[in-house]
Amino acid sequence: MKDDRGVVVRLPSEPRRLVSLAPSLTEIVFLLGQEGKLVGVTRYCNYPPQAGALPRIGGIADPDIERIVAAAPDLVLCTTDGNPKEKVRAIEEMGIPCFAASPQDLSGIYSAIERIGALLGVPDQARSEAGALRARASRASRAVEGQRPKVLFVLSTSPVIVAGKGTFLDELIRRTGAVNDAAAYAGRYPRLSTEDLLKTAPDLIFVAAMAGVEKFSPEVTRWKEIPAFRDGEVVTLDGDLVTRPGPRVVAALEEVSRAVSAWRERHGGDSGRKKGGRGR
Amino acid sequence: MRRTSPILAVLLGAFLGAIALSVSTGPTAVSLRQVVDGLTANGWRGIPSDTGARVVLTLRLPRALLGALVGGALSSSGVAFQALLRNPLADPYILGVSGGAAVGALAALLLLPGDSFLPLPLCAFLGAALAASGVFLMARHRRGVSRERLILMGVVVGAFLNALIMLMVAFSPPGKIPGALYWLMGDLGLGTLPRVGVLLPYVAAGAGTLFLLSRGLDLLLLGDEPAFTSGLPVEKVKTAVYLTASLLAGSVVAVSGLIGFVGLIVPHGARVLVGSGHRRLLPAAFLLGGTFLILADVLSRTASPSGELPVGAVTALSGAPFFLYLLRRNGGKT
Repeated sequence: MKDDRGVVVRLPSEPRRLVSLAPSLTEIVFLLGQEGKLVGVTRYCNYPPQAGALPRIGGIADPDIERIVAAAPDLVLCTTDGNPKEKVRAIEEMGIPCFAASPQDLSGIYSAIERIGALLGVPDQARSEAGALRARASRASRAVEGQRPKVLFVLSTSPVIVAGKGTFLDELIRRTGAVNDAAAYAGRYPRLSTEDLLKTAPDLIFVAAMAGVEKFSPEVTRWKEIPAFRDGEVVTLDGDLVTRPGPRVVAALEEVSRAVSAWRERHGGDSGRKKGGRGR
Repeated sequence: MRRTSPILAVLLGAFLGAIALSVSTGPTAVSLRQVVDGLTANGWRGIPSDTGARVVLTLRLPRALLGALVGGALSSSGVAFQALLRNPLADPYILGVSGGAAVGALAALLLLPGDSFLPLPLCAFLGAALAASGVFLMARHRRGVSRERLILMGVVVGAFLNALIMLMVAFSPPGKIPGALYWLMGDLGLGTLPRVGVLLPYVAAGAGTLFLLSRGLDLLLLGDEPAFTSGLPVEKVKTAVYLTASLLAGSVVAVSGLIGFVGLIVPHGARVLVGSGHRRLLPAAFLLGGTFLILADVLSRTASPSGELPVGAVTALSGAPFFLYLLRRNGGKT
């Protein structure tokens, strides 16, 4: 089985002891009903709640090799987006096979579910779970009709950092027929000044709420030229839902889709709206 | 004096020009006419209702003024530290001011509830003042303060505070990490008119006091003994310079975060222009520092297509090559 590093991972037998090095991978193992095999997860693995009771092997960026080896897994699930290469190599050098799954979009998530399912000996169940997610996603991304709100997906409110082109969140926005206002900027996670917000003038803002994230400061929200602030169109989503490339991204897509539909209902027929915040 | 007056006039021109450039640069197009109309519409009272005029007056102007104050204050403070420690590598952060401010700011950011941004500058300033006075008290012995002890204490306290900073960042909840990191890198976007208004008297008092201590700084450069024999109350002057320069740096860092390199490089640049007499050097360094930081901020706002860059990175990126050029041109001396 080829993983997302391009490494072909061969297992001598079906794995019975798993370590997961990312919350998204832990969620996939639970989705497949294989949580009984998990002997180690990261300290960030908090979903489903039972995952919190599993033994911890450190963090995503700082997995503890010694604890992983002590847990005696016969397969480690890892990602290239957060786990340091050297750590993964060190685990492999201890003779423990590692399978990397780093989905970059929704179809990557389905594929990761199917490949991990095949590795764990439940290929049929994996196919049906992936199929169910696919169906939910296509229901949520109904054909583009009506107004296309300009949307920003905010990952940090101070400073304001948003999801740009090439991110999951960009895909979620586009699938619901909205326009990602940050696509005009280069880079995956551009940082915007208040004046940039005035210029892009988003109609709808999603905030990925993470532990400790502040609300927008009043110095930013007082700019009523920004339609989203003027109309109170700021929607907070669970940060775990939108920042983990796991099965729950589909739930995030459903929430984004609902919010965009609700926005369309509130702003229907008002197609000649003036854009605020433009100078001159 | 006659020789340097034109240079100071040119520096003042550049300083004002940088403010004008900063105020007229940004992602939205605003005309001068809009700003004037916006201001006069209310008879020069209150904030204008026109968006463009408000962008200029409440976003860009405070930012430019904050850059002027912070750049000027860090450079003046750097001049004072370099003279006090007789060390060309000294800068405002060398004796623990930065570490103290950072620990204070991060404590405010992480421990206080979400919305309370206001106490952050206060906590940062307190941290800076505590660290600076701690270093000073520990470096003191019966006969006064020696430079070597000051540097040693400053470096040790700095290392200790750095360790605290790393721990605090490592333990911060993910949502707060960007805010903490951007503060550590320095950010003029935190400037608002009220904050600039609060900062102005501190900077004016600090830079003014250092200016009054000019002769003392000149003599300190010669060393303690010659300074003492010229009738300078050496220990008193050292104490005054140390406290003023530390508090000056602490007060601006509290608002802008840790903007690096300005306080190290600008004093050397100013010395090349006007020599090392502090009566001319201090004003020149203030103007040059303000100009440099404002221009670095304009660059940080416009250079990247992916939004703003941290201004602290821009100051070092653009400043380091210039610094090397100066060093080479002057045969290793500035």
